[in-house]
Amino acid sequence: MKRRDFIKKAALTTVGTIGIPYILPGGRLFAQTGSSSGQHVVLVMFAGGVRHQESIGMRYLDDAQVGEPYPGNIMYNLLNGTAPTQKIVYGTGQGGISPIPQILGQTLQQQGTIFSEVKAHYAGHYAGLNSILQGSSINGQGLRSRPVNPTIFEYLRRYGGYKATDVWFVGNGIDGSVPLLNYSNHPDYGIQYGANFFAPIVTFNQISQNYLGNGKVYHPENELAPMYKMKVFLDNNFSQNGATLHALGNTEEEKQSIKMFMGQMYEKTNMGTVALPPLADNGDSYAVGYACEVLKWFKPKFLTVNLSDVDQCHSNFTGYLSSLHRADHSVGHLWNYIQTQVPEMAGNTTIIAIPECGRNDEANAILDQNNWLSYDHSDANSMRIWSIMAGPTVPSNLVIGSENNPIGRVSDAMLTVADLLGVKSNVISAGFLAHDTQSFFDLL
Amino acid sequence: MNTQDSMNKEKKFVSQLLTDKPSALQQSASVCREKEISSPLPELLGFAALAAATVSLASCKKDQEALFEVNNVMLYDNSADKSKLKSNEQYVSILYTNLFQTALSNNTVFELGKTLLSLGDQELAREVLISNFFNDAGVQMPTADEMNADIDAFIVETYKRFFVRLPSEAEKTWVKNFIERNAYMTPELVYFSFAMSNEYMYY
Repeated sequence: MKRRDFIKKAALTTVGTIGIPYILPGGRLFAQTGSSSGQHVVLVMFAGGVRHQESIGMRYLDDAQVGEPYPGNIMYNLLNGTAPTQKIVYGTGQGGISPIPQILGQTLQQQGTIFSEVKAHYAGHYAGLNSILQGSSINGQGLRSRPVNPTIFEYLRRYGGYKATDVWFVGNGIDGSVPLLNYSNHPDYGIQYGANFFAPIVTFNQISQNYLGNGKVYHPENELAPMYKMKVFLDNNFSQNGATLHALGNTEEEKQSIKMFMGQMYEKTNMGTVALPPLADNGDSYAVGYACEVLKWFKPKFLTVNLSDVDQCHSNFTGYLSSLHRADHSVGHLWNYIQTQVPEMAGNTTIIAIPECGRNDEANAILDQNNWLSYDHSDANSMRIWSIMAGPTVPSNLVIGSENNPIGRVSDAMLTVADLLGVKSNVISAGFLAHDTQSFFDLL
Repeated sequence: MNTQDSMNKEKKFVSQLLTDKPSALQQSASVCREKEISSPLPELLGFAALAAATVSLASCKKDQEALFEVNNVMLYDNSADKSKLKSNEQYVSILYTNLFQTALSNNTVFELGKTLLSLGDQELAREVLISNFFNDAGVQMPTADEMNADIDAFIVETYKRFFVRLPSEAEKTWVKNFIERNAYMTPELVYFSFAMSNEYMYY
């Protein structure tokens, strides 16, 4: 073959290979890339039931406890506002009198946009978490059952072509059906489009290390390859009998990477070098710390982390304030870590934080150690939430909506993620969204 | 005289003869022969006596009671019957028993169930767990030499241990060929494959 012919054919082959469309699992040609304005998205489910008044309302004790006229902002990594000056109980030390120092030089509010009065679909935790991840408001979403409708993880993997390790869910524990949220039971979606999941305070604790932390290392080609080959034979024989068992779909390379990550996490946990927030003394802060490690290792396109320690507000208002302050501290650390420790994600990541539900206007009868009343979540005030987001395409220092002019719904968060990662039209076409759900970008 | 009366009379006569005067049998026979000439009655009496004796002897036999039994046969599941997915707790408990030939404590089963629940990719979680188990010297399995000495028996025992059934001929042939053609295939890797298989997830 002449040199010129060879070059010509090689060039044509190259162009052809690039140009040949490939069919995604969702049946679509090509993954959407051009329309995605953010390359990475981190969604913080600021959950556990955050009362509007003490969070974005910055009322501290003024609204919740009779005879305690002390307002103030205890979330000064997220929100602009002056911290309380009296009756400080949410910090560290004896009685919590020392507030945790601010991490971010600029609040997320200054860096991004706040939707200050958003409507929740439910006043309960699990249904609320589902409404964030599914973008729907389906009735009959039972506890201890997987989401009824597809989750954002499944939309991304099915229509966006993202691989399994591109999509992560880091839970703050295994209670409350949290481990069931990484994929739905929907017959057209399901586990093969699900997210990878860790509940780090369980996965990497000493007990789990005893069972998972001393794995034998096998040669990938000489040992693991024939092992998998025999497994395939056994599975094929079994599937001929009508039973199939779908898997999450991590490739062998992805599995090896996850195993290596787990090994490193065991080491870091034992050495105390996990990227935890400066103050890490509850489950939420540990979840965020390990989420930072997942971001550093996998650089996923989408990661969700859930928090829930504020839920102690049912019986301990002081503890609730303390957890709220720590949740703000942890999110500040998360955003700071992305910008300073993960260069591949710095400057091209969007963060969205949103509670799943609020808390009641009226207190219950339970008093805590400071004789402060506690709050449940069941009335109209529980449907009052907010959302904050920041990133390269998010307008800075913008506040949208007010108490008399609510804008946005909890399900908007999911469609916003879909919007940022290029599958918004697919999600809308799928037809499972709650009525009036929109991308936050469409509400700007 | 009807036949029944005749038989009864003859039976009585013979019985008396047998018990009282066995030596008279000869005489009685002579008498019969004399009577043969004159009448058929003696012949009938002899026949009747014989029948009576037969009946008498037969009536003394003990009744035999019929005894119905089944042979002991080992039964194994068919893979088609496995339709229920094991829970994490069931899986780890059975796996440990299969590998170590001893049972796990309830507390350990509970802890392992929570550990597995904390990972999203359950297949990966099982793989890591099994690799940890194989790092324990207590796993009960044949050596590679023992396996290669009788691969057929090894395959049958492996199917019975993990799948609680016998392999089909096709399965046996494929697995045997695979082991023979892969120099790195050890009993450990065979066990690993079976413990990771979908069929092992069902019961």
